Amino acid sequence: MQSIGRPLFLALLAAGLMSVPAEAADPEPFRIGVCYDLSKAYTFATPQVSQAALDLADLVNLKGGIDGAPVKVIVRDHGNEPQRGVECYEQLKREGVFVFDTLSTPVSMAILPRAMKDQRILMQSLVGRGDAVDGTVFKWVYPVGPTYWGQAANDIAYIKQLHDGNLSGVKVGFVYFDYPFGQEPIEILKTLSEKEGFELILYPVPLPGNDQAGVWSKVRRDKPDHIISWMLAGAHVVAAKEMKRNGIPIEKYISVNWLNEVDIANIGAEAAKGIKRGTNVVGGQNVALYKEIMAEIYDKGKGNGPVEKTRDVLYNTGLAMYSIVFEAARKAVAIHGHPITAESYKAGLEKIENYDASGLMAPITVTADDHGGGGRTRIEMWDGKTWVPQTDWLASYQNIVWQVVKASSSRFKGN
Amino acid sequence: MFYRLSGVHHASYMSDSRLYKIPADRNLALFFLALGLAAPFLFGSLYLNSYVLPWLVWTAAALGLNMVTGWAGQLHLGYAAVMAVGAYSAVHAAKFGVPWEFALLIGGISASVIGSLFAFAALRVKGLYLALTTLAMQFVMDWVLTHSPTISGGSHASLQAPTFALLGQKITSDTGLYYVAFGWCLLVTIFMLNLRRTGLGRALVAVREKDYAAAVLGVNSFYYKFVAFATSSFIGGVSGAILVATFFFLAAPEQFSVAVSIQALAMIIVGGLGSIIGTYFGVALILLMPSIVNGIVAGGASTLGLKLNVESLAHIPNAVYGALIIIILMIEPLGLGKLYGNIRDYLILWPFDQLKK
Repeated sequence: MQSIGRPLFLALLAAGLMSVPAEAADPEPFRIGVCYDLSKAYTFATPQVSQAALDLADLVNLKGGIDGAPVKVIVRDHGNEPQRGVECYEQLKREGVFVFDTLSTPVSMAILPRAMKDQRILMQSLVGRGDAVDGTVFKWVYPVGPTYWGQAANDIAYIKQLHDGNLSGVKVGFVYFDYPFGQEPIEILKTLSEKEGFELILYPVPLPGNDQAGVWSKVRRDKPDHIISWMLAGAHVVAAKEMKRNGIPIEKYISVNWLNEVDIANIGAEAAKGIKRGTNVVGGQNVALYKEIMAEIYDKGKGNGPVEKTRDVLYNTGLAMYSIVFEAARKAVAIHGHPITAESYKAGLEKIENYDASGLMAPITVTADDHGGGGRTRIEMWDGKTWVPQTDWLASYQNIVWQVVKASSSRFKGN
Repeated sequence: MFYRLSGVHHASYMSDSRLYKIPADRNLALFFLALGLAAPFLFGSLYLNSYVLPWLVWTAAALGLNMVTGWAGQLHLGYAAVMAVGAYSAVHAAKFGVPWEFALLIGGISASVIGSLFAFAALRVKGLYLALTTLAMQFVMDWVLTHSPTISGGSHASLQAPTFALLGQKITSDTGLYYVAFGWCLLVTIFMLNLRRTGLGRALVAVREKDYAAAVLGVNSFYYKFVAFATSSFIGGVSGAILVATFFFLAAPEQFSVAVSIQALAMIIVGGLGSIIGTYFGVALILLMPSIVNGIVAGGASTLGLKLNVESLAHIPNAVYGALIIIILMIEPLGLGKLYGNIRDYLILWPFDQLKK
């Protein structure tokens, strides 16, 4: 490996140096517009995710890019302001970028009508409107990954496994931020509670989630068997503290995917033992792609940020999101060749089949109808040191989830 | 020298109540009018569509806020809520099949009704208490938007606006949308310019300076405060609707959150309370400066060959932007409008400023 790696690297370096004057012969670089909120509400996730994007782009370029075309990740801050997000989109669009990611629900919402009109690809894994998985309505929007609806349904499937397939008489508490992000799964949980016969108890938490004292004393009174939590960042820490105060074991807590090592550290690695989260990516550092990035980039001191930030499950989430982005570009080149256009990229995305980025995430299959890629997630548990999977990759209650999706997307189509 | 007169001297009441006291001001206004009309041919579509258009719509909105805060002196912390009422009612009306002209009017009127409803409660208190009451309106509106899917448009809380149309003509081009925003901003500006020289405007100023004193002079302060709230809410409502119709194309609660209310207030404070040209400057600074500074810092870092981490690149502009606001308010506490006024007053006399005004 060593003996091949070095000359190859030197050859690539030489090619890179020579490519400056001979640019016309090379394929156009593949660029992706990353309009992120790096300064306001989403800073619990965006630094890790954008670092992952940049690192992965470097790795792809080290290996010769996408069939010769280098990849370029353009990161811009929009401060979670829809107006600045639109500006970022409009500016990059004019520079020829046709794949965008925002990682912010308000900005994703603001860009969506423009992307649909301009026929540009809007990637919105884990944010934005969940019904955009319906490719028949949202032709240019790709929320690859689970919707919150699917994720909640999979959480229920996990609870059902724990109770040997019978949920009657089981109490499930749902603790959520009382605004659209947290309210989204309620509909599906209510439907499932009717179908499966478990009792659903709702506990709205007022934003920003610093005060949950009232909520958790109610939880203590109701004694639910499981608690599904739809909150972000520091609110998990407050919840863990309140659970301890009320004598509720942390094992009951099943978080939405937005629970990371920073929260674990704030709760206390030992105290958090047993906390669970739904996820579509494998947590921890025992991942092939992660190890490769460490060996090729960080060990050579070329990382795009501090190495500590990579030891975070949201870094893995970022790797997963951008593995998909680059895989679709590869497929696009395989089908239509260079240069990649919005149309060929779309075709590439829809050719992705059972792709799991060598074991980094749930296998996804994107089709023209299902832009979500199947919506598989699993439950992982924090064992004090790392994340331990509790289930296989699940995609349960798909027909119910799709009913909700179709009902919601048809309202958009109505316009 | 630049203004071809040495000071402003009125010889009659008519001359005092003219819209433009000196010809240079009128010429400048005409120049900007022409610039605004020609903008689609002068600026690229990026600048037109993502800088100038939102700037004009926000200026119209901020002028409305300036009327209640700058002219009538009533602190308003819930202006974004008023805009939200306008935006949501207009979009719902348009979805229902009402032509956009009337939908905008419906948006304006419903914003006006809700805005003045709160004014009834709010105007019994003054100053900071009033500010808190209007802030409560903002929170009530936020709560209503996030808890009623019928209003906010389903579980994702995003309400798609039908294509904007005027006189049955669908408007989709950048240029067309720009002219809609420009036309609305122009209307509001003309209204505000004229407000200064009407009885209503003078009554509002009297109420602002001291409402007891105004009452002694026979100015019904409650009535005028109420009028100020209703009118500014109308302007805010229509501006909110136009913002959604021409810029966002869908309404979402985050577009009208409490942070936006504070931003709107910052626009008129930095611009100058009671100043029209200042409002234009203030909106430009608050709305557009963050991304411009962002671009400058990013460009500067890459030309200097600094490899900054993406996070620092995002935070440095914020610090610069904050410092800019502080520096401006330290140089001139009355805002950018006053800063412009100082320069103008100096130049009117220059180079003969040793001869007193």
